[in-house]
Amino acid sequence: MRYICANCGYTYDPDQGDPMNDIPPGTAFADLPDNWVCPLCYAGMDTFDPLD
Amino acid sequence: MKPSVASLYQAVEIAQDIPPLLIGERSNTNGSKKFRDCLLAEDFDGCLRIGLDQEAKGAQILDLCSAYAGRDETADLTRLVKLYAESVKIPIMIDSTTPDCIEACLKLYPGRCIINSINLEDGGKTLDKVCRLAKKYGAAVVALTINVKGMAMTADEKVDTARQIYEQAVGKHGLRPQDILFDPLTFTIGAGDQSLLDAAIQTLDGIKRIKQELPGVFTVLGLSNISFGLPPASRKILNSVFLHEAVEQGLDAAIIDPGKILPLAQISEEDRTFCFDLIYNRDQGLEKSPLMRFIDHFAARVDVAEDDEAEVKRPEEALHVKIVRGDKDGIEDVLAVLLDRYPPLEIVNQILVPAMRHVGELFGKGELLLPFVLQSAEAMKKSVAWLEPHMQKVDQEEGTKILLATVQGDVHDIGKNLVDILLSNNGYKVFNIGIKVPAETIIAKARELKVDVIGLSGLLVKSAIVMQESLPQYREAGLTMPILLGGAALTSEFVATSCVPNYDAPVVYCSDAFAGLKALKDFEAGQLTATVAAPKGGQPRMKPGVKDVNIDRNHPAPEPPFYGLRHVTDIDPAKLFPYVNEQALFRGRWGYRRTASSSAEDYAELMQTTVSPLYDALKERALAEGLLQPKAAYGYFRCYSEGDTVFVETGDEVMAFEFPRQSSPPHLCITDYYRTREEGGDVAAFFVVTIGEQIAVETKKLFEADAYHDYLMLHGFSVEVTDALAEYWHEEMRRELGIAREKPSDMTGYVTQGYQGSRYGFGYPACPDLDAHKMLFKLLEPEAIGVTLTETMEMVPEVSTSAIIAHHPQAKYFAV
Ligand code: B12
Ligand SMILES: [Zn+2]
Repeated sequence: MRYICANCGYTYDPDQGDPMNDIPPGTAFADLPDNWVCPLCYAGMDTFDPLD
Repeated sequence: MKPSVASLYQAVEIAQDIPPLLIGERSNTNGSKKFRDCLLAEDFDGCLRIGLDQEAKGAQILDLCSAYAGRDETADLTRLVKLYAESVKIPIMIDSTTPDCIEACLKLYPGRCIINSINLEDGGKTLDKVCRLAKKYGAAVVALTINVKGMAMTADEKVDTARQIYEQAVGKHGLRPQDILFDPLTFTIGAGDQSLLDAAIQTLDGIKRIKQELPGVFTVLGLSNISFGLPPASRKILNSVFLHEAVEQGLDAAIIDPGKILPLAQISEEDRTFCFDLIYNRDQGLEKSPLMRFIDHFAARVDVAEDDEAEVKRPEEALHVKIVRGDKDGIEDVLAVLLDRYPPLEIVNQILVPAMRHVGELFGKGELLLPFVLQSAEAMKKSVAWLEPHMQKVDQEEGTKILLATVQGDVHDIGKNLVDILLSNNGYKVFNIGIKVPAETIIAKARELKVDVIGLSGLLVKSAIVMQESLPQYREAGLTMPILLGGAALTSEFVATSCVPNYDAPVVYCSDAFAGLKALKDFEAGQLTATVAAPKGGQPRMKPGVKDVNIDRNHPAPEPPFYGLRHVTDIDPAKLFPYVNEQALFRGRWGYRRTASSSAEDYAELMQTTVSPLYDALKERALAEGLLQPKAAYGYFRCYSEGDTVFVETGDEVMAFEFPRQSSPPHLCITDYYRTREEGGDVAAFFVVTIGEQIAVETKKLFEADAYHDYLMLHGFSVEVTDALAEYWHEEMRRELGIAREKPSDMTGYVTQGYQGSRYGFGYPACPDLDAHKMLFKLLEPEAIGVTLTETMEMVPEVSTSAIIAHHPQAKYFAV
């Protein structure tokens, strides 16, 4: 499932991962490390809403 | 003879062989919309039909109430009493608190009726009058356990109050114990109010003890309040189970809708268990609260005969529902009815404040969104404003007082205003003394107003520094009240390590307005403590960004259309809307997020029915009223990089813009995207843009008019349009530089920087130094488009934004 940053609109897509934070493709949102932040606005994980 | 009441036709014993005595509640302007509508239409036969229907459904007595703001209660009730006395077989209960009205009815009624009700709320004045009437006309009375201190919540208070009433009624006025039906009050256990978790237990215990300690008296309950807040189908079941439990404790009579009570035998064992757990607040060692388990269990139940159940609301419930739903319509009518029964302060403290607390709890659980919280606050504000003329001045002097201010050099208004809205509508006294307030003024005001707590707010990091540096001044001034700090640029870390040590009383970080509310509750409980740094150990937050190390040093500098600065004041506001980041607006600024319990479809519906229309209307309004006045001050300058500095040439001067470098790989610094003098030099571009002062003026008006919801909406709109202007103007500048290529196809393309180069806002992580604004303002002279700088580097109007633009294709966001 994709998640969207409520602060800036960035979408985390598990199929793509997050290269800006060295997160490989195939990583589910729930499996992101606790200290992960939005790669664009640096908001924490609780700022994300499920998208699908 | 056994204690009974009687109509012209029949006598009814109060102590039934199979209790309880059923008192029909629907002939009541506050309990039944149908009844109220009939009365307002002067359709007295319609009113009567409702009574007859209750009788047919099994009522043994009929409660009759005609109180309605703006109508002549005595005229209405006497007329109804005559009608009911002739046509209904069962006896009636006269539901009024006005002695004259009660007497007029007693005179007319050809049997023995019950008066509903007396209490000790005014110390006994009204009680004396009504007891004299009861004695004179031989009536029985319902007595509510309310005294000057308010409604009795605990069993002890219920019994004490009952005893006080007993002493007056029996001791002083010569009523017999059997003439009194004590109502120990029922409060809802269905709304999740933490202070009411054991409310059912207290009521049950109250019934038992009143019967034991005051022999001969009867007990009665207005039952349906117990389940108020829950869906209708489950209410019916809970009411029935609770009634059963109450009868077990000795309850003699219940004021109910007889059609809405189920025999216990018709309720499954399983259903009963969930009811018992809720009534007796049994956690059963489970993680979910009894209430959550109850709601889950009955979630799918639908009541086949829902009819106008939603209207079977006592005014107390109706007001609660209106606050929770943020429904202001007709709230005065409900208040008027309640004002007949309770002192205004009691309405505030016992109904309104708990309702707002419930709203806060729902928000905390993620079940209610911020815009709806603001609508609740509006309903609260309207209620309190309506009650205020009825309150004595002293009433308002009580309670915890807090002073709110935005610190020196900062014009950011909305953060503290949201705190103001939430706190003042939760019953706290708030002194909101405005923006840009120097520490000296805050200290003087705090003393003068004798506040219990100070709350400081600010937008930028500079304001956080102002807070930190002024705290010793508060200490030296001898202030001892706790200080709450809030604002987007603060962290609990910063408050704990840099602010707490500068002051002797607790300094507390508040991430949002609800944290402020919690802090005040802690303060009142004597439990407010200073923020402590989270124990180190967890990983520090990640520092995302481009990982590109090999930056192409030979990328040619584009040719700008001019060197130097320009001011543009004729930007068409309508052009900005396509650049608005709607996700950030709807979810971030407005708070329309997807709650845990809503599906993607629910969310889409919310967008379609509520959010998009709101956005469209705001766009239209902004254009029609000229609220958006976009302007830009921008320029292109020859420059070269040297280490961590970009030197910008203005013709007569060279300005040095210094930037930090990442301490870990890839060790980026903004200067890496600009060529050195040796490499041939480069072009640096800058802008300051604003959408003007007008929209802030309109926004402020909404706050002042207590239109909290619209206030947040217009503010959020204004800040996202400002960001849209930055996005738009950045694109214009790419075009002028000849590097615009193809436009990103949608907003996501802009969010993820799907264009050449990057723009770095001063104050953001790659470029954190806000003091650079001083040089920037020399470069661009944005005063000409109406933007000025405060002593703490904030741009005014607040809806302004600044940036340095890099054209290099490898330039993207990164954090230092
Ligand atoms: C919207 C926004 C803007 C808007 C306008 C700001 C406005 N309010 O008008 C625009 C786009 C114009 C903007 C511009 C800038 N912004 Co800006 N902006 C934001 C953003 C996203 C939200 C701010 C906001 O209005 N929030 C809404 C209000 C209601 O929230 P709030 O003030 O935080 O208040 C809540 C709580 O903090 C708390 N609270 C606040 N005060 C108090 C007090 C008490 C007593 C209590 C109990 C609680 C409490 O309760 C409130 C309600 O829940 C924040 C980041 C973020 N997500 O918070 C960045 C942010 C504030 N901006 C930032 C920056 C850098 C800037 C700029 C300097 C960028 C630039 N170079 O142009 C400019 C400066 C503008 C200026 N006038 O000088 C940085 C600040 C960091 C810093 N270095 O100072 C932030 C933190 C973003 C970031 N993560 O880096 N910004
Ligand atoms: Zn984000």
